[in-house]
Amino acid sequence: MNAPDRYERFVVPEGTKKVSFEKDTKIMNAASFTIEREDHTVGNILRMQLHRDPNVLFAGYKLPHPLQYKVIVRIHTASQSSPTQAYTQAINDLDKELENLKQAFEDEKNRHEERMKQGY
Amino acid sequence: MERPATGVTYQRFPRVKIRELKDDYAKFELRDTCASMANALRRVMIAEVPTVAIDLVEIESNSSVLNDEFIAHRLGLIPLTSSAAMGMRFSRDCDACDGDGSCEHCSVEFHLAARATDSGQTLEVTSTKDLRSTDPKVCPVDQAREYQQALGNIDPYDGDPQGDHRGILIVKLRRGQELRLRAIARKGIGKDHAKWSPAATVTFMYEPDIRINEELMETLTLEEKTSWVESSPTKVFDIDPNTQQVVVSDPEAYTYDDEVIKKAEAMGKPGLIEINAKEDSFVFTVETTGALTAYELIMNAITVLRQKLDAVRLQDDDADLGELGAHL
Repeated sequence: MNAPDRYERFVVPEGTKKVSFEKDTKIMNAASFTIEREDHTVGNILRMQLHRDPNVLFAGYKLPHPLQYKVIVRIHTASQSSPTQAYTQAINDLDKELENLKQAFEDEKNRHEERMKQGY
Repeated sequence: MERPATGVTYQRFPRVKIRELKDDYAKFELRDTCASMANALRRVMIAEVPTVAIDLVEIESNSSVLNDEFIAHRLGLIPLTSSAAMGMRFSRDCDACDGDGSCEHCSVEFHLAARATDSGQTLEVTSTKDLRSTDPKVCPVDQAREYQQALGNIDPYDGDPQGDHRGILIVKLRRGQELRLRAIARKGIGKDHAKWSPAATVTFMYEPDIRINEELMETLTLEEKTSWVESSPTKVFDIDPNTQQVVVSDPEAYTYDDEVIKKAEAMGKPGLIEINAKEDSFVFTVETTGALTAYELIMNAITVLRQKLDAVRLQDDDADLGELGAHL
């Protein structure tokens, strides 16, 4: 009856920004990024990638509520870095990883077909 | 502000090994990445890789025993060949039409007309013989399969010889009953409705690292070894008939049930076996509905995940603000 429309889960409403961020008022180099219409898929890989960055002191994500279709990623970095820098770096690294994975898959498919032809 | 040297990267280089690759099934190993990436790929394959499915049905005449909504729902669930879906538009983003089927960028029209004549037989209305597409690229998967078979492009061993080749049953008509309708198929994703999900199952498991303490194992008698090997609910271990040594015959059969560990403890031999899940190695199993091939599904999942990451980049104005903030 009053259930939200299904498309609410993945269509960013007009006038809303996909990503917004707010700096922490009390802690230096800490910020929360709010990503609209995303979930664990993006939240978790971002968090894990941020953990690989030694400048990141803390990185975590949460889905505030099942009916609020957004994730909040919180990042706290060391002073030589900044949360926005770490965030951008994490996305770049993940993107490169996936580009690499795609190539690896194409190559492996060719190798696999070659193996099949040779009959084992 | 101090910056680390440019070119600093914490990127990984995942490795892939395909074990089995069929049209609608794939099994592969993914290494040198983490569980979050494996899970993101799994989630994207299930819920975010686009396909085409019937979304709007206009019934012209329906005198069958099933009501209009029921038939519309059944039509929606029929998998349609969706290799072209990545290049199509979502009808909500399509500016060439309002998604009513008049536009080839976002929709495909289907027609169905069936009438049971007065012979005594009930007429089976199926996806293979009655559902007609206006676009040869998008049709029910069983029709595409028949076409490929007619061309001889399908390896006979790949198909199921005992399978039922009548297609998907939509409704049965009795003498004199009729069903006529027009349907519009649209691009969509599994997050919206499961009918758009190209995945039947996508799973991954951690590859186990099984280490037998050989020294301790040699203190067991053959009977003890046999009873220990048999304590595993799945056949992970075996006894070499020649040397009577316990060997790992199939590590991936292990279901992380801890039974062999408990058994070793019960036998008074703790530490006989050590089993750990490797945190960077996964074995994926991918099965599709036929809407996409397994390989297409995997490749599209990677593309979609990259698009998602690209969409969550900070916009230039955000970044400027952020840096300004950092300087303040």
